[in-house]
Amino acid sequence: MVNTEQFRRERLDRGIKIRTDGLYALMSWRELSYLTLPRLILIVGMLLLPLIVPGMYWQKVVTILCIYALLAISFDFLAHYVGLVSLGGAFFIGAGGYLAAILNSTYGFPPILTIPIATLVGAAVCTLLLLPCLPLRGVYFAIVTLMYPLVLARIIEALDILGGTDGIVGVDSFANRWVEQYAVIAMVLLALFGIRRLVNLDIGLVFRAVMDNDQAVRASGMNISYYKAIAVFIGSALGCLGGACLVHIYMWCGISLFALDFSILPIAATVIGGSGTLVGPVLGCLILVPISELLREFGTLRIVFYSLILMGFIVFRSEGLMVYGERKYHQFQRWVKV
Amino acid sequence: MLKASSLMVFYENMLALNNVSIRCENQQIVGVFGANSAGKSTLMYTLSGIMEDIKKKEVMAGGERITVMGEIEYLGQDIMGLKPSRRAKAGIILCPERRRIFKESSVLENLKIGGYLASPAQAKTTLEYVFTLFPALKNLSKRVGGFLSGGEQQMLAIGRALMAQPKLLFLDEPLLGLSPLIQATLVRATKVIRDEQKISLIVTEQYARPVLPIVDFAFILENGAAVLEGTREELMDNPDIRSAYFGI
Repeated sequence: MVNTEQFRRERLDRGIKIRTDGLYALMSWRELSYLTLPRLILIVGMLLLPLIVPGMYWQKVVTILCIYALLAISFDFLAHYVGLVSLGGAFFIGAGGYLAAILNSTYGFPPILTIPIATLVGAAVCTLLLLPCLPLRGVYFAIVTLMYPLVLARIIEALDILGGTDGIVGVDSFANRWVEQYAVIAMVLLALFGIRRLVNLDIGLVFRAVMDNDQAVRASGMNISYYKAIAVFIGSALGCLGGACLVHIYMWCGISLFALDFSILPIAATVIGGSGTLVGPVLGCLILVPISELLREFGTLRIVFYSLILMGFIVFRSEGLMVYGERKYHQFQRWVKV
Repeated sequence: MLKASSLMVFYENMLALNNVSIRCENQQIVGVFGANSAGKSTLMYTLSGIMEDIKKKEVMAGGERITVMGEIEYLGQDIMGLKPSRRAKAGIILCPERRRIFKESSVLENLKIGGYLASPAQAKTTLEYVFTLFPALKNLSKRVGGFLSGGEQQMLAIGRALMAQPKLLFLDEPLLGLSPLIQATLVRATKVIRDEQKISLIVTEQYARPVLPIVDFAFILENGAAVLEGTREELMDNPDIRSAYFGI
């Protein structure tokens, strides 16, 4: 028979992965570091980022990157843990941004108050506006979330309310640029680890069940619209948080907050980073946002390079960097005789 | 007609098929029996080439790696690693488990999709043949596939497979979840198809009794390995087999 000569590549979990699954992880430094090192690298790396980048310009890029990372986490959570494909990054950013700007410029609230209020109220408003399409399955949610920012931007423009095309100027900034940067970085880390905890709670299980089979969830006596509304509230809160921070960073709020970039880039980042990993989208933003800045020199050609990178990832590594990395970290391969 | 030898399929490190060799002669009905997780569907996917497709998708998505080894010989040619579309053109057609009909299309449309690659004349004759084989479908031809009953859907699935002009037809669990009456109709139809269309069939089932009267030769799979094979009479004479798979 031929198959005695044949070999097959086998993928096995590393011993240390198995050991660290249980309580034994606390027994030795090696195992402890196996578990904590990747997380520490991310946390320390994010915290060091403003210090190591050259100059004010790139520090600004880091802040914007964090805003995108918040949106990407929100997209990944909604799309891969609740099954709602949201194109509403711009909607969330706009809602949070305008609320924060109004609260600050009209009522004189300081940023420390406007940001939490804009986050919660903005999320509530977004959830309410999206409520009608929650019982439906399919592309409707995506379409509606895509339409809202366009509609709102045109309304503001046409009725000349909320500053019209000029936007709201004179919004307070953060106390100084270090506060600004570390505030958004802390928010990204909090959102990342918070959402990761959330999806492993009981309610996270319900979210995933809604994604897999909403009829079965209904049959278990749960109201799927209610759970979807909670998920949309959480997802849009992240986006509104980003928007509220953004207006205080720009010290200005205008209809460019409803720009489509806020909807598209998080999706691209999720594709590159690995969907469903939550860390992946942050990683994707860490790659994509600087690349998009670097490519600015090429002018309009930048879109071409950008698209090429994206297409390359989709065709050759559609699993995403994080999934690939996790596999390499946890598993090894060897040839075995069949 | 079809000869598969020492087939091995791994889903990552899990062995789904272990050294399975099966064959099917011209105009034979071959039964493949086994419990859940015995590897029946894996065998069907491997023979019909769908496995090549699944493999590619898993690689793209970074999921499980599927390894397929062994030899499949069809009409004297080695078809191992051939794309499913090429195998279908050569006459190997799979009627998949759980029917997988096009739920949004009408019965007639479903059948037409099945006959897309056949010549118009062939498609026309086969369409008429399917309607004479399953008269129930004729009255429902405008009905949307998703609204058919389970038995009608299975008839439609078999009809669709026939439209693709098979020389070797795989029926993967055609009796799944159907009433005994419909089961009997389908089993009779299977024999009629063999006799009239002069094709070979491989039928998988968990419960062998309804299908047994029409099979010429049968294989029994257990945990991915072909543990027993023989003609209908040989298997019937084996008391263990009788109690385990035939419920007699």
